[in-house]
Amino acid sequence: MFLEYMSKETYLHRLDIRTKILGFVGIIILVFLFNNPFYNLIIAIMIGVLALSIKMPSQKVFDMLKPLLPCFILIIVLTSITYSASSFKTEISRRVLFHLLPNNGLGVSAGGFFIGCTLIVRIFILIFISTIFTLTTPIDDVLQFLHQIKVPYEISLIITTGIRFIPTMERKKNLIFQAQQARGANLKGNGITGPIRAYLPIMVPMIINSILMANNLSIAMLNRGYGVSKTWTVLYEMKFTMKDYLVITIIFLVTVLGIYVRYGLNKGII
Amino acid sequence: MKNIINYNNVSYSYPNADEEVLKNIDLNIKEAKFTVIMGPTGAGKTTLVSCLNGLIPQLFEGKLTGEITVAGQNISNFRVQTLVKYIGLVLQDAETQIFGRTVEEDTAFGPRNFSIPKEEISNRVDEALSRVRLDGYKKRNTGELSGGEKQRLAIAGVLAMMPKILVLDEPTSELDPIGRMEIYTTIDDLRKENRLTLIGIEHSSQEIIDKADELIVINNCSVVWQGEPKLLFRDIEKLNSFCIKPIPVSIIGWSLYKKGLIEYDQIPLDIDEAELIIRRLFTDRKAMFTGCSIDLMASTTLTDDRPILQIKDVDYHYSSGKLALKKINLDINQGEFIALIGQNGAGKTTLAKHLNGLLKPTAGQVIINKKNSKDFELAQLAKEVGYVFQNPDHQIFCVTVEKEIEYGLKNAGFSAQEIKERTERVLELTSLTKFRNAHPFSLGKGERQMIAVASILAIEPKILVVDEPTTGLDWNGINRMMELIKTLHKNGTTIIMITHDMDIVAKYAERIIVMKAGQVLMDGRTREVFSEFQQLKSAYVMPPQIPLLSLRLKDLGMKDIALDEQELTTAILESLEG
Repeated sequence: MFLEYMSKETYLHRLDIRTKILGFVGIIILVFLFNNPFYNLIIAIMIGVLALSIKMPSQKVFDMLKPLLPCFILIIVLTSITYSASSFKTEISRRVLFHLLPNNGLGVSAGGFFIGCTLIVRIFILIFISTIFTLTTPIDDVLQFLHQIKVPYEISLIITTGIRFIPTMERKKNLIFQAQQARGANLKGNGITGPIRAYLPIMVPMIINSILMANNLSIAMLNRGYGVSKTWTVLYEMKFTMKDYLVITIIFLVTVLGIYVRYGLNKGII
Repeated sequence: MKNIINYNNVSYSYPNADEEVLKNIDLNIKEAKFTVIMGPTGAGKTTLVSCLNGLIPQLFEGKLTGEITVAGQNISNFRVQTLVKYIGLVLQDAETQIFGRTVEEDTAFGPRNFSIPKEEISNRVDEALSRVRLDGYKKRNTGELSGGEKQRLAIAGVLAMMPKILVLDEPTSELDPIGRMEIYTTIDDLRKENRLTLIGIEHSSQEIIDKADELIVINNCSVVWQGEPKLLFRDIEKLNSFCIKPIPVSIIGWSLYKKGLIEYDQIPLDIDEAELIIRRLFTDRKAMFTGCSIDLMASTTLTDDRPILQIKDVDYHYSSGKLALKKINLDINQGEFIALIGQNGAGKTTLAKHLNGLLKPTAGQVIINKKNSKDFELAQLAKEVGYVFQNPDHQIFCVTVEKEIEYGLKNAGFSAQEIKERTERVLELTSLTKFRNAHPFSLGKGERQMIAVASILAIEPKILVVDEPTTGLDWNGINRMMELIKTLHKNGTTIIMITHDMDIVAKYAERIIVMKAGQVLMDGRTREVFSEFQQLKSAYVMPPQIPLLSLRLKDLGMKDIALDEQELTTAILESLEG
């Protein structure tokens, strides 16, 4: 479901993870400063340019979001009819576009429609920046960051082993699946619960296999001296480069600018 | 020679078990030598080595009595994590011994736990990787490694902790021939360094005979034999009683010795020795092979000529677009016993999966008993073709052996009465009756493999496809499995077996299909295929000892190659006496 880390190097790969997290936070602040969809659209365009610049497979992201289309429509419909026109600050937002029911019932306000659009633009921005983050951040950086903020090394070990065993479990699942089919199991299932029920027999061998593997894993870990002391050697150090300082400055300036536009100039609200 | 490990009257029983898994073990292991431990599955080999680094009794509890000393120190005074710096243990399953995402990260895992400085870790990683010939792999993703590479990485991970003693618990039993060769080479490299004490648990006789300095045989929870391997491998009777696979050529030697033709010390242990001794016998008596015996024994088969399986112009592409099978054409007749051989990645399993419709051809047709696999659901084809997968643990879904066997029958929609009858029949046939209520995972590997076969047999398919049925089994398990398959074949089941064990192929198969790079390289009678030494080599298949030996004896009048020890022994004896 999620897009995996891109191993090819882009300029975002070379940034320190802390810089990227800061940028992430900066964008979230900007997005939630403004509820005007046009301002958010500007941010979205900036993110789009960023995505293009690292050649992100945007088509895949859109494909992933396609099934959510009914939700997006529902969001717009709901915000349009639930916000009362008088709660908005600008002239244009206060206008009632039309009524869904006779006798001025369920008025669709322009402001409510705008809010719906903003929410959707925000969803897209958040999905895009988290995708960009995972695409360009190696798991080692994440683990290093966890270490830096004093998360115990057992936790990062759990994360690495978890990631390491995803393909193994996937392979096992396929083998079990095939073995069951070869013995005439109907794994397609009928009705709504059919596919779920068909998957149940897979769970038994999967769980037993996992337990056996976990058992072996614990032996193997002991064999390598795991748990001899509370800490371990840190192999990678994080380092800020000039590029990081430059990017941090830009993030800072843009965020401050955003806050000034919102509160100093009182723009970007509806 | 200094002893580094001493077992002094060691006994052990697992928690909540009355029976002892080790009984009064007294054992010395020499420093800087390569000691091999052999014996049937369940004899206590793994238990024996698990005591060495304290896994028993610190992780697996239970009752351990007696004393184990390593380099003069009583190990019960130390934690596992302390002992592992001194004694490294590599396990059978490489997959669960790898924690890192990259080769470098994984190798560093051990030293990191001991908070060794970064620079030294880096040196140790480089050294350990180079000792297992994985230099240049540092940045590789561990998920992309082959089986042999993974096991070598597991060894490197232990070596990086710089142990004085390295214990390898069946490091090759899950690997294909190339992977095994890699591990044997690694062991050989380490042995030649002369600084490590190596202890290996192994099933494969041929590979260890000239490498091991010392052999220990464990049977029924006790040490039954210890000494130089050569001394044991000439004594076929003793080997059989220990359930250890003898070397094929020494079985011939044993028969010659029994007939009084050669001395005990002359029993050959490898193919060169065998050739020499047979040549000497023939020249001494001015004998030549009479050659008739083998032709007479040429297998009479039940084959009739109507193909039950037809593969016509089959191509198969993976979803990635890579070509896995290319223009395969095969006719398989009712009642044949076929061995499908070739290197890993040659397409054997991919082809086999077409035979029951698990995979449908990209181009061409597969006709299974007059049914085109494209037009039928897998569930329908399952009744025609039984498919036993390689690893039993991926095909056991139920909580008792009995339910496991019933699983396929229920899917096929048999009546309760029929299910009961068939289950009984299969339990009887596979001698699993005594385990019927046991949980499959509580049984040994040999039994689990048997359960996997049994659950397919219950459906009584006309065609049986078995993928490496003997991998990871001991000599006993191999023989039992092969006798079962032979019985099925005699009763008319068509057998298609994927295997890497060429001794088995020579002994049991009637027809061999050799695959290479997604194509059928050779297809013919077993005797014909094994005669084509050069062509087999191009498919990276090593013909077994006996056919190879008979090829070498061609100039003595050997017309056809012999396939197993018995054939060759008979031929030799007849020629010498006649």
